[in-house]
Amino acid sequence: MKFSSDEIASVLQQEIEQFDSKIDVREVGTVLEVGDGIARVYGLSGVMAGEMVEFPNGAIGLAFNLEENSVGVIILGDYLTIEEGNEVKALGTLLSVPSGDAVVGRVLDPLGNPLDGKGPVQTDTTRPVEIIATGVAERQPVTEPMQTGIKAIDAMTPIGRGQRELVIGDRKTGKTAIGIDTIINQKGKGVKCFYVAIGQKDSSVAGIIDALERYGAMEYTTVVVAGASTPAPLQYVAPYAGTAMAEHFMFNGGHALVVYDDLSKQATAYRQMSLLMRRPPGREAYPGDVFYCHSRLLERSAKLSEALGGGSITSLPIIETLEGEVSAYIPTNVISITDGQIYLQPDLFFAGIRPAMNAGISVSRVGGAAQVKAMKKVAGGLRLDLAAFRALEAFAQLGTDLDAATQSQLDRGYRMVELLKQPQYQPMSVTDQVLSLYAGTRGFIDDVPVKAVQQWEIDFQQFARDKYSDLITLLNEEQDLTDEVVEKIEACIAEFKSGYKPVESEM
Amino acid sequence: MKEAAEHDTVLDTGAEQLGKTYARALIGAAQSAGIADKIIDQLGVVVDQYIAGSPQLRAAFASPRLDENEKVRVIDRIFGEEFDPLLVKFLKVMAGRGRLAHVNAVRSAADAIHDEMLGRLVATVQTAVPLDDALRAKIEEQIGSIMQKQVRLSESVDPDLIGGMVIRVGDRVFDSSVSNRLDTMARRTRSGFSSQLLHRFGEFTSE
Repeated sequence: MKFSSDEIASVLQQEIEQFDSKIDVREVGTVLEVGDGIARVYGLSGVMAGEMVEFPNGAIGLAFNLEENSVGVIILGDYLTIEEGNEVKALGTLLSVPSGDAVVGRVLDPLGNPLDGKGPVQTDTTRPVEIIATGVAERQPVTEPMQTGIKAIDAMTPIGRGQRELVIGDRKTGKTAIGIDTIINQKGKGVKCFYVAIGQKDSSVAGIIDALERYGAMEYTTVVVAGASTPAPLQYVAPYAGTAMAEHFMFNGGHALVVYDDLSKQATAYRQMSLLMRRPPGREAYPGDVFYCHSRLLERSAKLSEALGGGSITSLPIIETLEGEVSAYIPTNVISITDGQIYLQPDLFFAGIRPAMNAGISVSRVGGAAQVKAMKKVAGGLRLDLAAFRALEAFAQLGTDLDAATQSQLDRGYRMVELLKQPQYQPMSVTDQVLSLYAGTRGFIDDVPVKAVQQWEIDFQQFARDKYSDLITLLNEEQDLTDEVVEKIEACIAEFKSGYKPVESEM
Repeated sequence: MKEAAEHDTVLDTGAEQLGKTYARALIGAAQSAGIADKIIDQLGVVVDQYIAGSPQLRAAFASPRLDENEKVRVIDRIFGEEFDPLLVKFLKVMAGRGRLAHVNAVRSAADAIHDEMLGRLVATVQTAVPLDDALRAKIEEQIGSIMQKQVRLSESVDPDLIGGMVIRVGDRVFDSSVSNRLDTMARRTRSGFSSQLLHRFGEFTSE
């Protein structure tokens, strides 16, 4: 390949000729003090809240605190080379990030600068980072399912496109895994995914990117990274930046999924900035507007009305709790903002029940509206049954004799728990899920030993794919348990069981 | 070069606030006596010559260890004869309230308030080469006619500008310097070129 320098020179010449030099009028201020990602600036008397300012070293700042004599600025970039007395220039615009197809498949920082070494993001479209969420008239109810590919979630706490579902739990309970599996499961579904990593170890982010690449998910995913070593202001804007990139697709009629991993770190970054800005601390030293910080972010996830193209942003915010304390400040805030939560528990996790979802207190306020009909039918009473099973299990541990009905309920419960286990990076299609859950909830695996259930499921799925591919195509088309489908499923299960001897896995 | 950009009194925004309050009181008193100009000039002399020239005096004013009577005696001895009694009284009041350390702030606030009352405004002009009288008069007239105010220029020379000038009025900067224009042109061309590159990459290369 050869570059034609004449062509390039002519374009450059054009650009220079088109340049008309008006007098540059700007509003300026002077840095009074700088430190830890914030600066206090004297002057800038006409600056507005949230307006961008520029420091001599090229770093961008945002006017954060407007005081009588000075302006508090958060610095989104290198604050170590900014000095007292530097001139600060108001740019008269709001912060915006590149958006559109150019950001897909990239790893970016919250300002849209590349972190993956693949060169600058080549796009002309940008979107403001902070916008007011769409209003009531622009929305419609959430009805379209957003399949996570995780049986337990799709069956019991279904998520719809446009919903905000919180993933909450202690450290090391598999919160990120749910987000990643959901992203992997969007392959071929036309959903653009955004993984916003806030305050995380760069090593774990690298691991996640690697996993996404291995499962071919990076083709439709953007990773926005503000790692643990980036200054607090960047961690604070990261989720807004990720949402802005996702909004491009939503407003163009597409669908997007945003995973915020995690918002407790963002709240911590916001607390740091606010305290340095001397805003009064409130509960747990968080500033008074930390609720608004999260609510205005999550309100931007929406299902737009048909008039606006019917696009959507689904968000999966993640919150890390300490010792299961869901009544701490940030968890209660985010629980009250979102449309339901998936609660992950360490004791379940270590008992081998993964995903370690506590079915009793996990809810989805959108519910069955966001399930396909077939799934709604097979998973109808599953959540309540499991909750009843948990209560019964505790009772059974007392060692009392149980009547046959109770015993059979217990047996079913053990098998359902087993059936809902699912390894990481293996999201299932909704038809596969329906097949498995049909077998489970209708009692077809009651005679399979508990320890053999997982292997049974794998072999059954394989069998159905090999021998009953017409059933799978039919179920895919109908998405409903019509009589024909039910007949075929039962025939499939019967045939499989007749020739299969359960093998107990070694656990 | 950066002289114009430095605000020596505003590092402490509390002091600035305080200076404004005292300055307003001082100017009010001076105006009712009809000697505002004189008092402002004399305050300038106190700050620029006495306080700036003598670290001991500055230390004595700021020190909390000297009590009020001592400070009043010092003021009487040094300023008593040369300066207007109103200013001396004002300094004593400041001494009585333990604010003598902030005379500097009062001075700059008083200057600003006085300028504002007279409809005057200070414009800082940075140029690559020193201004001559004709140009100076022209700039004053231009700014004055736009801002509808009497203009006082404060000049500085910065060869880095290459040419043109940078005028600053308050927080607003009018920049027509050659260096800034070159920077802007470079930035525009770069972004313009990269967007051209995006749209017609094929034309730039040949197999």
